[in-house]
Amino acid sequence: MTTQRTSGRRKQALAAAAVVAGLLTTAACGGGKDDGGKNGAAGFNAANNKIAQASLVKKGGELKFASTQDADSWDTTRGYYGFMWDFSRYYSRQLLTYKTQPGAAGAELTPDLATDMGQVADGGKTYTFHLRDGITWEDGKPITSKDIKYGIERAWAQDVLSGGPVYLKDVLDPDGAYKGPYKDTSADHLGLKAIDTPDDKTIVFHLPKPNSDFLQMVALTSASPVRQDKDTKSQYGLHPFSSGPYKFQSYSPGKSLVLVRNTNWKASSDPVRKAYPDKISIKFFTNANDMDQRLLAGDYDLDLAQTGMSPQGRTTALKAHKANLDNPVSGYVRYAVFPQSVKPFDNIHCRKAVLYGADHVSLQTARGGPIAGGDIGTNMLPPSVPGAEGQKYDPYEMAGANKNGNAAKAKEELKACGKPNGFSTTIAVRNNKPVEVATAESLQASLKKVGINAQIDQYDGSQTAGIIGSPSNVNKKGYGIIIMGWGPDFPSVQGYGMPLWDSSYILQSGNNNYALIKDKSIDKMFDDFVTTLDESKKTQLSTEINHKVMEGAYYLPFTFEKFINWRSSRLANVYTTNSYNGMYDFVNLGLKSSK
Amino acid sequence: MLAYLIRRLFAAAVMLVVVILAVFCIFFVFPKWAGVDIAGSFVGKQADPAAVEAVRVKLGLDDPVYSQVWEFFKGIFVGRTYAAGGDVTHCAAPCFGYSFRTQQAVWPVLTDRFPVTLGLALGAAVLWLVFGVAAGVLSALKRGSLWDRGAMVVALAGVSLPIYFTGLLSLAIFSYGLGWIDGQYVPIGDSFSGWLGGMILPWITLAFLYAAMYARITRATMLEVLGEDYIRTARAKGLTEQVVIRKHAMRSTMTPILTMLGMDLGALIGGAILTETTFSLPGLGQKVLDAIKNQDLPFILGVTLITSLAVLIANLVVDILYAVIDPRVRLA
Amino acid sequence: MTAPLHEPTAEAAPSAAEEAAVATTGAKAVQGRSLGRIAWERLKRDKLALTGGIVVLVLIVIAVLAPVLAHAVGQDPETHHEDLIDPLFGTPTGSLGGISGDHLLGVEPVSGRDIFARILYGAQISLLVGFLSAVVAVVLGTVLGILAGFFGGWVDAVISRIMDGLLAFPQLLFIIALVSVMPDRLLGLTGTSVRVMLMIVVIGFFGWPYIGRVVRGQTLSLREREYVEAARSLGAGRFYILFKELLPNLVAPIIVYTTMMIPTNILTEAALSFLGVGVKPPTASWGQMLSNAIDYYDSDPMYMVVPGVAIFITVLAFNLFGDGVRDALDPKGSR
Repeated sequence: MTTQRTSGRRKQALAAAAVVAGLLTTAACGGGKDDGGKNGAAGFNAANNKIAQASLVKKGGELKFASTQDADSWDTTRGYYGFMWDFSRYYSRQLLTYKTQPGAAGAELTPDLATDMGQVADGGKTYTFHLRDGITWEDGKPITSKDIKYGIERAWAQDVLSGGPVYLKDVLDPDGAYKGPYKDTSADHLGLKAIDTPDDKTIVFHLPKPNSDFLQMVALTSASPVRQDKDTKSQYGLHPFSSGPYKFQSYSPGKSLVLVRNTNWKASSDPVRKAYPDKISIKFFTNANDMDQRLLAGDYDLDLAQTGMSPQGRTTALKAHKANLDNPVSGYVRYAVFPQSVKPFDNIHCRKAVLYGADHVSLQTARGGPIAGGDIGTNMLPPSVPGAEGQKYDPYEMAGANKNGNAAKAKEELKACGKPNGFSTTIAVRNNKPVEVATAESLQASLKKVGINAQIDQYDGSQTAGIIGSPSNVNKKGYGIIIMGWGPDFPSVQGYGMPLWDSSYILQSGNNNYALIKDKSIDKMFDDFVTTLDESKKTQLSTEINHKVMEGAYYLPFTFEKFINWRSSRLANVYTTNSYNGMYDFVNLGLKSSK
Repeated sequence: MLAYLIRRLFAAAVMLVVVILAVFCIFFVFPKWAGVDIAGSFVGKQADPAAVEAVRVKLGLDDPVYSQVWEFFKGIFVGRTYAAGGDVTHCAAPCFGYSFRTQQAVWPVLTDRFPVTLGLALGAAVLWLVFGVAAGVLSALKRGSLWDRGAMVVALAGVSLPIYFTGLLSLAIFSYGLGWIDGQYVPIGDSFSGWLGGMILPWITLAFLYAAMYARITRATMLEVLGEDYIRTARAKGLTEQVVIRKHAMRSTMTPILTMLGMDLGALIGGAILTETTFSLPGLGQKVLDAIKNQDLPFILGVTLITSLAVLIANLVVDILYAVIDPRVRLA
Repeated sequence: MTAPLHEPTAEAAPSAAEEAAVATTGAKAVQGRSLGRIAWERLKRDKLALTGGIVVLVLIVIAVLAPVLAHAVGQDPETHHEDLIDPLFGTPTGSLGGISGDHLLGVEPVSGRDIFARILYGAQISLLVGFLSAVVAVVLGTVLGILAGFFGGWVDAVISRIMDGLLAFPQLLFIIALVSVMPDRLLGLTGTSVRVMLMIVVIGFFGWPYIGRVVRGQTLSLREREYVEAARSLGAGRFYILFKELLPNLVAPIIVYTTMMIPTNILTEAALSFLGVGVKPPTASWGQMLSNAIDYYDSDPMYMVVPGVAIFITVLAFNLFGDGVRDALDPKGSR
């Protein structure tokens, strides 16, 4: 019986591998075949890290997004969702932005409102940018350096405009001396000392100390200009004033959003944006299955959230419409993390017992399998971040010898931890993510085999910050294992790992260092990273930080996430970009027909 | 009659107040006991303590419950102003609260979404009344026949299947599969035929369940009524069976049907969560589920209020209709 | 009507039962003790109702013996069988959702857990919630309904208003809100038990006004009857009259009502699971299985069919049985 099952299992695995391989090969060959068809889909993975059907693009038409999720806010200062940043380039511009190129090249910076990449002086403590000519707001008035300063200052008003990233605030004003534009008593509300605007065309940043990722921060959506007389404060997200090629026509939260051309935007002033369609719309759904069916039927062009199709739509699409799919790596790592405040996870051996006890293939299947879920995660650095090694760095042989779990090693570690008979703990998982619940069940089942009894607790996913973001609450509830995922805000170990691993990021509310890592050597490496301007040194530090984190066994990575994303046959000039974690680059999408 | 109306209206108003109090308790008092900080849930990924504090001030979370309730009632009549951290938000009367999640006043959103839900409820009600009552009457008149058995088994099937099951099935068959119906919501103002195309599946799905129930009740009531003395008297008088059924039996049968209709309609108008979710209809039910998922309290409160109001009004209307339909009922 | 949100299934059926109960038992209480025997005779002749009753009994046996039955086929509801899952699509590799000699009803997508075992264990949850919440509603409804009908006056006024209020209250909102703020440990219970208890209490609590109204109406009409008058004139105490004279005559509508309420409650549990506030994983319930299956309705239809049919059969059986009981207790019906 046992042998039979094993052989059956092996056969399964082989068959699966064959299917995967087949799919990928057909994709590779099949892509070109379909490409010729004017109205046909470009082929499987045709837009994954490369441009699909760029030559077929026509100006005009309505580009239709569908989504089951609205943005956290469309306010450039407040938005933090990845798709919001991607989408915001339609109606906002920054000093610098990402190159509109596929894959890794798309993560490189290029001047946008600025004429060049800026002049650095003072050993990285002063940055000066000059603004381009012809840059205008949607009412035709020119965009000035003061507008940019004001837009950046808004991040200081966290009490009114919460939610967005605060990197610039932390870097420019680490002591929090400035109180934000709304409490600013100076007449022009431009009291932030770290930014100078000697004239309307020049902006100068003064950093208290250098930061190696400063240019990345200047390129964030949250560094977009905002005009003071158009600032409706907390309601700005309902109708942001456009500096880009499109402007808001109508927005009804959770229902629909429509952008139309900003007639005052001049293509000559913008080296980045092509602005192909005449109109861009988003329709919000509540039923993911329904939305996928509408995408398959061609009623909509792509999913705004770009988090992959739901199981049903995915299966149909893979079987019948493979040429419309891309399978990018998302830049997210999905993982379980062990708060050291919850016993027995204060002991590294108990943490290692979980790492060895887990069935990594089963976890991968729960995440959606090798195609829709991603490769088995073996360490904590996502492949898009410089310094990442992917599956090559696999200290616990999660994708190798131990991929189905290693009960013997787990038992050994349990003994070393002083819990030879196992222990009981609680897995915390968001209730609004079915895939995460499935992962928790898988983990629970495999841990049971080594004597670790885990109970699953589903908490309200909308309250993440207050529930697992509060170390005291985590301790009170006994959450020994928390299931989460994380993607980089910008492709560097600072933009990814600092909130997770640096001890100074441990907060009483909204904490993201769930493991409560207080490792001086890790803190030191982050300090070094932030002040190092040499790229190869930065890459090396990034690798070392990742190793240090893995050696501490604070995390059980599940997958280097991959998605199956849909692209309609109407779309042209489609490509995924690393700058937005493997999403399509929205800003230069076009249609094959102007109708 | 007038005194009765006033009494009922007063009772309804008291009920509304009680409902509001209960909802306040659930969302403000219970979490406090459980040690959950609601203010934190109004803030995004990186919760700045200042932001949490501002929400606390704006929502008045630290005030005692009675003063929160008072502010809420006052807002309905005179509007309300929320201020914190230099940001002032005005919510015009009638102010049923303001959502800091979506930065919208509750009332305009509810009035925007109300027509969708109303259209869904009324359209479905017409269908289920016509088919449900007809099937029930026929079954009662031909008790024990093949028709009776068949209709009741179908009705039981209707009662036994969850709407998200039948709804998805209907979409899979008629929209994705056969492509007969588009099945996407279009506002009635944009295109009437588009609106019909979007509403027909939700109507049928919803009506299927309700028709099943109405058929069962109609049958039971009709059988009961047919056994009453006055029906026998009518027959003895030599009236034709048709007249007996139409003029006498139907009237009495309609009384319990009306009671149900009032409550069902009232409840549906408050939001048909499952139907609207399944068909992505932008109505009140969809909004309230969204609000629950995001812990968007002002909307939950607003929709709860509308639901209760709708049920209370519907009951009132039904009670008055009784007197018109069934002369045996007197207003008490 | 208590539950504007989870719609017809759970909200109109009680009134169906209620109206039916009113319709059939109104003023028929005079028949006294022989009623039970007469009803049984009638019930025995009603083949459909008997079938329904037998199915209900079988379901109860299945639920009670779930662990034994699952063990007999060598399965348990929580063991993963990823080897039976196609890693690409997450669906079972075998035909018909992976049905085989080992897995009588196939396996679940993604995890490969045995569906047969999960259906057996799911019956426990579904029936437990269905029955116990009905019990809560019946006890509350009967006691308060009798009190309102028997004492009248302000007691009646207060209880009636409470009933109106509960009927106008959005039940589903309440449950969802309560579940999200409930601690995991309560009265010595943990995890799924807390949820199950919560569902029983809340569904029962919102269900009692339906039966309360019926009982109140019955009591109102019964207390003016001759035999109650007679008992009263003989000097019987209030409580004697309540329990010895009134209660036995309310048994019929209560039974009818209960049989119809149980399937409604089972569907409410399913709706709650669909909205994500039902039982906790990895515990199986039919509602939870059905709502998970929606993501595989086309790629693995068997996964949807199995719990769908289970719910359908159960609800159908209870309804047929309930209809039979109602007909049997209706003295006019046989004329």
